[in-house]
Amino acid sequence: MNTLLKVEKISVSFDGFKAINSLSYSIGKNELKAIIGPNGAGKTTFMDIITGQTKPDEGKVLFGERSVWLESDQKYQVVWDENLLMKSESQIALLGIGRKFQRPTVFELKTVFENLFISMKKNRSPFSVLFQKLNRDEKNLIEKILGEISLKNEQDRIAGELSHGQKQWLEIGMLLTQEPKLLLIDEPAAGMTSNERRQTVEILKKLSADKSVIVVEHDMEFVKDLECEVTVLHEGSILSEGSIEHVSSNNEVIEVYLGR
Amino acid sequence: MTNSINDLLARHTLIFTIVVIIFSLFITFFSEPYGNGLISTSFVKTLGKTVCLCIIALAMDVVWGYCGILSLGHFAFFGLGGYMIGMWLMYERTAIIVQEAATNELLPLTETELSNAIGNQIFGVVGGYDIPSIWMFADSLGLQLILVIAVPGILAFIFGWLAFRSRVTGVYLSILTQALTLALSLYLFQNDSGLRGNNGLSGLQNIPGIEYLGQEVISIGFFWASCVFLISIFLLFHSLMKSKFGLIITSIRDNETRVRFLGYNVEIYKLFIFVLTAIISSIAGALYYPQAGIINPAELAPIASIYLAVWVAIGGRGKLYGAIIGAAFVSLFSSWFTGGQAPDIPLGIFTIEWVNWWTVLLGFGFVIITIFSENGIIGFLRNIFVKEK
Repeated sequence: MNTLLKVEKISVSFDGFKAINSLSYSIGKNELKAIIGPNGAGKTTFMDIITGQTKPDEGKVLFGERSVWLESDQKYQVVWDENLLMKSESQIALLGIGRKFQRPTVFELKTVFENLFISMKKNRSPFSVLFQKLNRDEKNLIEKILGEISLKNEQDRIAGELSHGQKQWLEIGMLLTQEPKLLLIDEPAAGMTSNERRQTVEILKKLSADKSVIVVEHDMEFVKDLECEVTVLHEGSILSEGSIEHVSSNNEVIEVYLGR
Repeated sequence: MTNSINDLLARHTLIFTIVVIIFSLFITFFSEPYGNGLISTSFVKTLGKTVCLCIIALAMDVVWGYCGILSLGHFAFFGLGGYMIGMWLMYERTAIIVQEAATNELLPLTETELSNAIGNQIFGVVGGYDIPSIWMFADSLGLQLILVIAVPGILAFIFGWLAFRSRVTGVYLSILTQALTLALSLYLFQNDSGLRGNNGLSGLQNIPGIEYLGQEVISIGFFWASCVFLISIFLLFHSLMKSKFGLIITSIRDNETRVRFLGYNVEIYKLFIFVLTAIISSIAGALYYPQAGIINPAELAPIASIYLAVWVAIGGRGKLYGAIIGAAFVSLFSSWFTGGQAPDIPLGIFTIEWVNWWTVLLGFGFVIITIFSENGIIGFLRNIFVKEK
């Protein structure tokens, strides 16, 4: 499988506390992966590093979105020409990495439709934005996404009026209009009813058909439903990796996480 | 539903334009040169100046109310605009006077003599007759008008670029902008700043070349120019804030991080708004000071920029007409109270003299309005008249 994101031996400490300790991680194209771990395991810091909000003390984060045909070896090779550590948050977002925050983060004073309109993949320079109007194709795309996130009937409502679960979906919808290659999703199921939760699992699975998705979760049951590879983080490094059955039978994992 | 909101907004701009035009015609038909003289020339000037203050209030509302940058330095740009136009007004008028005086001499003045005479007239008060190099374009109206845009534009660009790039936000940014305006006014207070120190520039009401028209006609001209500029800026800001660009600007106000993670370069957007509003403030200043007649560094003092924020807060930020109402309302009241027209209140042992007590009243008004209505007068009126579900 083609690797899309490669994280190599990153470490970061805040005031002497090692939040991430020589962590390596990778995810392939159109793969769905989950990261779990107790509070303070470094899950959010890990996302902060990938999206450019925190710069690690050491290590590399490479985003290989291009494949190049190598004549000599007669095969495709991914070109690692995007070193994310050199880029700002907005540049990383433009490369195709979308992020959903732990708390639903939508523009509360704007309508659902406007939220999606702003996140639409288009030229982001202010001078270009000044003259951007919504065309028919884009309108159709937004309508399609509204359907996918079950908010079709809410499109003219102010986002702040939505329920917690609907806001989570709206934020996922905003990531979708961005048309990213990699989605980082922080605790999507937090505060959801079991019904909403099931729907969210469906949405995430559907997403991984043509996107890579990393889901960070607290909730073991939810991760089980995702049926994907799971990485357990503990004190800034990887404790165990594999299927949910595999990691949940690991004694260390049970001790630090499940046993609590 | 979205359409009906847009229709309402579109009607707002139409109503606004019509109201300003009717107001301007009304003033004109009661003015001294074009009407029965019921409205004095000095009051026309006060109104014209108030309109300019409304323009800078609009700029303040966009930068603060819409983009969330509480700039406490926009009045510095207003003052800079005044200085830039003032340099031409003062230089050109002095040149005309000097040349007129020289017609009686036997020999025509040489270049140097002329320049020294002008320099002596302008800079005599600060002890000098050399014309400083920053006055090199002062003989050209066109170039000084370009400077009205360029000087604040470049200053705002450099300041904004440094501040936004370092992610300075919130109260820290406000303090920085205060420091900027304080530094600028302290610099201008220096006698060797080349702008006549604390004397400032004066005689700006005399417009070289059209002085024969008389102040009563010129004041109407400036009043109309200010009103036309107010309408244009209102329409500009309104369409800007209604567009996708405006959506992003208010999104930056509400959640900067989210906008950044959507791939927008937030700093460039802030810089754009900061520079644009600085330039508009400067043009408003360039219209204001020829009506005021005089500009000195005290005009750029930090308090002026704070007043500006108070006007917008009282009127209602985040709404363009809120800024206009706030600026007009407070500045007109302010000139009424401080102009000695308001009747003093004798309390037996103590008399409330409004000249001194006006700021106290303003302070109380500000506190009361912000406590009872987060969105100022506009928010208060909306609560009464617009029944929201």
